[in-house]
Amino acid sequence: MALLKTTNVVKRFGGLTAVNKINLVFEKGQIASIIGPNGAGKTTFFNTLTGIYTPEEGEIEFDGRSLIGLRPDQVATRGIARTFQNIRLFGSMTVIENILVGMHIRLKQTGMDILFRRKFFFEEEAEAEERAKELMSFVGLRNVGNELARNLPYGGQRRIEIARALAANPSLILLDEPTAGMNPNETADAIKLFRSIRDDKGITVLLIEHDMRVIMNISERISVMDYGEKIAEGTPAEIRSDQRVIEAYLGREAAAATQA
Amino acid sequence: MKNFFDNFYARINNGKNPYYVTFGLLILGAVLVYISPRSLLAFMILMLCPMAIYFLNMETKIKVLIGILLAVVIIPVLGIRNIFYLEVIFQISVFAALALGLNIVVGMAGLLDLGYVAFYAVGAYLWAIFGSKQLSLLYSVPGAAAASAEFSLDPRWFWLFLFLGLALAALTGILLGLPVLRLRGDYLAIVTLGFGEVIRVLALNLDKPINLTNGPQGITPIQRPPLPPSYIMDVFRNILEPIVGHEVTDAQFYNVFFYFIALIVIMVAIVVARRLEDSRIGRAWTAIREDETAAIAMGIPLVQMKLYAFAAGASFAGIMGVIYGANRTFVSPESFSFLQSIGVLTMVILGGLGSIPGVIIGAAVVVFLNIQVLQTFSLFLSSLRQSDAVIPIINFAWRDLSNQLDPAKYQKLVFGLILVIMMIYRPAGLIPAERRQRELTHEEDE
Amino acid sequence: MKTFTSNPFYKFIIFPVGQMLAFILGAGTLLSVIIILLAYIFRGSVTNLDLVERTITILPKVLIDGITIGFVYATIALGYTMVYGVLEFINFSHSEIFMVGGVVGVELLRYFDAQGSLATMNEYVVIGMAIVLGMVIAGGLAVTVERIAYKPLRGAPRLVPLISAIGMSFILQDAVRLILGLTTGEFNVILPQFGTFDEFQILTIPGIANAVQIQNKTILLIAVTVMMLVGLNFLVNGTKIGKAIRAVAQDRPTASLMGINVNLIISLTFLIGGALGGAAGVLFALKVTRLDPFVGFFPGLKAFTAAVLGGIGNLTGALLGGLVLGLLESFGASYLGIFTEGAFGAEYKDILAFAILIIILIFRPSGLLGQTVGQKA
Repeated sequence: MALLKTTNVVKRFGGLTAVNKINLVFEKGQIASIIGPNGAGKTTFFNTLTGIYTPEEGEIEFDGRSLIGLRPDQVATRGIARTFQNIRLFGSMTVIENILVGMHIRLKQTGMDILFRRKFFFEEEAEAEERAKELMSFVGLRNVGNELARNLPYGGQRRIEIARALAANPSLILLDEPTAGMNPNETADAIKLFRSIRDDKGITVLLIEHDMRVIMNISERISVMDYGEKIAEGTPAEIRSDQRVIEAYLGREAAAATQA
Repeated sequence: MKNFFDNFYARINNGKNPYYVTFGLLILGAVLVYISPRSLLAFMILMLCPMAIYFLNMETKIKVLIGILLAVVIIPVLGIRNIFYLEVIFQISVFAALALGLNIVVGMAGLLDLGYVAFYAVGAYLWAIFGSKQLSLLYSVPGAAAASAEFSLDPRWFWLFLFLGLALAALTGILLGLPVLRLRGDYLAIVTLGFGEVIRVLALNLDKPINLTNGPQGITPIQRPPLPPSYIMDVFRNILEPIVGHEVTDAQFYNVFFYFIALIVIMVAIVVARRLEDSRIGRAWTAIREDETAAIAMGIPLVQMKLYAFAAGASFAGIMGVIYGANRTFVSPESFSFLQSIGVLTMVILGGLGSIPGVIIGAAVVVFLNIQVLQTFSLFLSSLRQSDAVIPIINFAWRDLSNQLDPAKYQKLVFGLILVIMMIYRPAGLIPAERRQRELTHEEDE
Repeated sequence: MKTFTSNPFYKFIIFPVGQMLAFILGAGTLLSVIIILLAYIFRGSVTNLDLVERTITILPKVLIDGITIGFVYATIALGYTMVYGVLEFINFSHSEIFMVGGVVGVELLRYFDAQGSLATMNEYVVIGMAIVLGMVIAGGLAVTVERIAYKPLRGAPRLVPLISAIGMSFILQDAVRLILGLTTGEFNVILPQFGTFDEFQILTIPGIANAVQIQNKTILLIAVTVMMLVGLNFLVNGTKIGKAIRAVAQDRPTASLMGINVNLIISLTFLIGGALGGAAGVLFALKVTRLDPFVGFFPGLKAFTAAVLGGIGNLTGALLGGLVLGLLESFGASYLGIFTEGAFGAEYKDILAFAILIIILIFRPSGLLGQTVGQKA
């Protein structure tokens, strides 16, 4: 069943068409990815999905309902969580608080519960804290719950961002270049984590990457973007041999050279 | 230098030392203020006591006990002996409540509000209009008050108006916030500044077409809530008079009375601010302050959460406005100028954005600076002016010093210097906000 | 035709002056038509006078007042908009730079007056000297303030330099008050009487019964501001320095990579903005004849409103915004009282600007001439 479906999505900035008539279908339970060279429009496409931008044309359907015109917070409430290309944690909050912010839409405490510290407030906070700890160990963070997020090393911050996104109990998680800047060991760990998000939590994973190796290893389905357009789609094996993809990545002359 | 302070702090915070220090300060301060009620130094020693309670490690029970002893017994008694200090403490409480409210908006949610006293004005004018004779003077020219005019409400309504002031200020905050909270931070700052000026200009000019605010002259007299019945007051009077050594008038009782009202409000304000901070709402505010784009992607509705912050901050100011109006029995547009808004902002920045103990200390320092240090300095200069003293080397006679050099009138300079210096050297404030540390034993086990 | 439009004389003199005339005529005519229409509609509701006749009688004066103050606002607004264009930062203390310029200019005139030479000197030379001195001091002060209070905060969250600027604005107000108080014993600065500036020139417009009177100094004020605006336009669009300023405003890191000294350009921006503000201060002093250290607050805020109204960061926008705001304020101050029979009057003119600011920010935050820029994710 299609979880997310985009039809002819177009996003323009002035004269520049950053996303041009993108048609994509992502199935529930998949690990799918979008690749493309830098500036291909991948992040803009993510921002269009999550409501940061409103597309000029086209339709985005999630779980059978349209997302067009929703604010980013409403999109999040529908069950799409995301991370950012350049990590955007709440730096002066602790790690556990960052994850609790991710839980915002799942918490039911009202102003009255908060001001009068009713029993429900304590129960919910304790439960949330418990879940936050579980998520921390799920992404492989230990003994850092009370650290300020900005004091963690780069790899740790990537993990917090994923834990924070998972805290919202999403049905789809969008990861924007999650392995950027990682060394091969860290990348291997990260790939394991992405698998277990899908396998253990049943959450559909959609990745953006420009590093081919990561994608080939993990994705079940790959869409390739270049200059705002989808130029290819298929399994890793199909993509690997696609002429247009090779051209987009290596340039036309290099592609000709490899053929020759 | 820093090392010296750390060592010093570690030493007095060791074992039983905190108890000795705190009790010592309490007793020494109380005795000194009792003996020389006019001494600035004595008062400062007494004021170190609440800081000791806050900063030193002691059993919570003892802390509460000393706090109650200080706030409920010692300060009122000393305050009746020299009413000036009670006034200082009352002003500190008023501004501390305002600073706590502004701290929610600026410190926690990161929305720079430059017209915060507008909400204070809303509360003050609400009780001023209903708690004075103003309602029966609506159609008369300002200044030409009919002698026959009567108070429109019984003074006991004051208690209800505390809550009405709170609600009206919160509502004003929401009405202002709805259109403008979408704006970027720096634009929001200018718009709130404009809103503050709008409220002040309205207060100044709404003496026509109907005389609602009595214009620049302000509204007076405003009623105060009645004191407890006289037989109760007589009991207090009989106890207090031998201690303070002079007759205790109703006016002095009123000072103590308002001190207690302010104390209760400030306690409630602290509890409310703390509870909000440590909740889903407070976390959302901090998230918005840190990174709006990430916050909204986590599903936090920005405008709604910002409205909560505006309303919560405004309500603190609204309730204090009602109390202020009743305490002074007089309100005028002058009390609600841009300078006042920046004054409260200075308190928050000096103490530490987002830090609840910080902003209270910030309020105390700024109020103390304004009505004690600058005033004392002014008096000192004017006494020099009247003397025949001469500055030796440059041969300058103090007599010739310009009358313009009156430190009490240079509040702006003080606020400005504090703002610039803090922003450059210590943007987190004197007592930076700290995040709550949670018990994470579960995590350690693994 | 093409050769003519690329002719520097057309590009830097005819075109900007024509643009100003177009703005004045456009905004002035539009507002005049609206007010006369309103006067017809409400003719019956105001009983004590003929609303239409009264409206038309004072209209020329209202227009001239509005244009005069509009030019002052535009000149101050340029300082806000240039700094915003380069640093994305509201230079809150610009209103005090403006005030300092005015105070310095008037102090120079008072100095000549005390010397007894003011009466004997050529009045236009004296005014010229006051303006130049005001520009130098105000420009220098603006650069100094930037170095002390803003430069250490570059790269900090947006609100940090803004708060520092508010602090700086307060410091400057009281510092000027202190200096004036210690040196002259009084902090009000009153313009000495000299020359023939207060005399009226009579302008007869055919078709209108009453002759229109314009003060000499109004003509002087407009002439000087127009010259400065033309000069600034040339500086920004016609010189290498201007190119560097525009490059830094577009993209600071790239400009720096291209070998532009970004710090120097930022200082220069403050210098130019400050100098314009200082000149506006002297001209404003000439108009109001009395200053004090707190006089900058409202003109400053209105000029900021003008900058936002025109589209902040856009120089032409600041000019248009200033003129429109000046006219609106003049119309509001003159007609509000007449239309409401005195219930609301000129005392509301200061908050009129805020009302306009709020309305623009809500409905068109990019201003009249600004472009909507997509938010960066």
